[in-house]
Amino acid sequence: MKKKIRHDQYGYLFVAPFIIGFLIFGLYPVVNTIVLSFTDRTLMSSTWSFIGLKNFQNLFADSTFVTAITNTWELWLMNFIPQMVIAFLLAIWFTNNRLKLKGVGVWRMIFYMPNLMMASAVAALFFSLFSFYGPVNQVLVRSGFLPEAIDFIRKPAIMRGLVVFIQWWMWFGQTTILLMAAMTAISPSLYEAALVDGAGTFQMFRMITLPLIKPVLIYILVTSLVGGMQMFDIPYLLTDGRGSPGNSILTNTINMYMKFHSSKGHIGAASSVGLVVFLMTSVVALLIFFLLREKHDQPAKAER
Amino acid sequence: MRTSYRTGTIVSRILVYSFLVILVVITLIPVWMLIVNATRSTVEIQQGISLLPSKYLVSNYKILLSKGLDLPRGFLNSVTIAVLTTVIAVYFGMLTAYGIVAYNFKGKRTLYNMIIVLVMIPMQLSIIGFYQWMSKLGLTDSYASLILPSIASAGSVFFAKQYLDSIMIQDLIDAGRIDGATELGIFHRIMLPIAKPGMFTMGIFAFVAAWNNFFNAFILISSRQKYTLPMLVQTLRGDVYRHEYGAIYLGLAASVVPIIIIYFLFSRYIVNGISMGAVKE
Repeated sequence: MKKKIRHDQYGYLFVAPFIIGFLIFGLYPVVNTIVLSFTDRTLMSSTWSFIGLKNFQNLFADSTFVTAITNTWELWLMNFIPQMVIAFLLAIWFTNNRLKLKGVGVWRMIFYMPNLMMASAVAALFFSLFSFYGPVNQVLVRSGFLPEAIDFIRKPAIMRGLVVFIQWWMWFGQTTILLMAAMTAISPSLYEAALVDGAGTFQMFRMITLPLIKPVLIYILVTSLVGGMQMFDIPYLLTDGRGSPGNSILTNTINMYMKFHSSKGHIGAASSVGLVVFLMTSVVALLIFFLLREKHDQPAKAER
Repeated sequence: MRTSYRTGTIVSRILVYSFLVILVVITLIPVWMLIVNATRSTVEIQQGISLLPSKYLVSNYKILLSKGLDLPRGFLNSVTIAVLTTVIAVYFGMLTAYGIVAYNFKGKRTLYNMIIVLVMIPMQLSIIGFYQWMSKLGLTDSYASLILPSIASAGSVFFAKQYLDSIMIQDLIDAGRIDGATELGIFHRIMLPIAKPGMFTMGIFAFVAAWNNFFNAFILISSRQKYTLPMLVQTLRGDVYRHEYGAIYLGLAASVVPIIIIYFLFSRYIVNGISMGAVKE
């Protein structure tokens, strides 16, 4: 017994690099961002001072900031909902015993592929596909759908639609794989028992499938939210890097980057954007996780 | 009754398959057009869409080089960063997870909970504080600032812990101790070899993430010769390339094709790997 306790001290040695790395590259930058957000510091000048909440007051008075937050939420929701719908359909079909679809592995492999594509390359690709002389205009004009080419890049609704489409395109495969894994982990005997009790397909889905895949649903929701709130590459590279046309695809991170990259490099103001979005996202994500999780997870935790 | 049940199934099968085919077309067309257009001349591209490759790959490449886009250099830079990041993320992810799985020290539950919370926190938003801190340390415009943070990759530890939980054999560790192996020796010589498949899966994900990472490099790297592929991709939108569509597509294809190859070689690991992280906890 004594010997075991001596071994256990080695645990600290094993986790030490992680903790040190986290303090240097994870925690301190967060603290530093918090401190910077209370200053008027810029990259160009060496003098700076604490200005209290001024950065935050400026932010909330600035309609651009509010637009960025609204945009980010909208762009995320508009891709998340269809993503869940399609992923649910696919996962149900792929695991359905009556349909017995062939080549599930191959379909799934294809649908996941866009997720690995470099987001910046994908955005640049769609930028050139939808450019004025690009192939989309060519096809539409030649086939007579359009009398003349449209400047898609200047149409807010189309650019927003494209951002949403690209996000959806990149993520529905991953969500399908996660849902499938969760669904196949459910014991078939549960469905057999329900069938004996005369339950219908929809009832079984609601009473058995949904509650049992809840942990995975929460995981998908939280990770997608956290990723969505930091959305940058695609909206940044799809148009001019300022969320054009008319701020329609201006996201939080683009907004932060613009403050950082402004002529003065106002890192104080940029930090305040980062901090507000960081807090908003973390609070929402952790609330979702703990509120939805707790009841379900209790027995499992007690076991450990 | 039986036959109508069967025809019902057949009809729904046909509908489902048609839906799947449409979805496959949507999924593959953009990528396919990208690759095909990389082999077509700008004139061909402007004349219309084709799904068949042409023969201008080399001339597009020459145009890219003549415009000053050092694709080989960017490629090498990206490979360097991605490989080093992968090695560090996998090794330290395993090391940390092993510490949590194999030892019962005070605070390990708290540490693990903290790691789960870290997975759910948008760390990228502290990039300004990170940038300013790195410039104080003299690490901006250096790959160290891109590579070293993966020592503390919460996602890797999370995955590694799920994996180690499923393969952990306490007897092997005890046997190692009886043989007089050090604790670190047990980790290196007994645990890591058993954990190879899991490390491989982790490695693919770490590699792809590092390869595709645009934002951090974009903020931290400033000298042109240190640009990574995603940063070069971003410069392709500039005026220099205005009407060189073939060359632009080639630049994009060069950054995407390596990942496609990796995917087709290892898709089994990847697909299984995605499910592993989420389903167990």
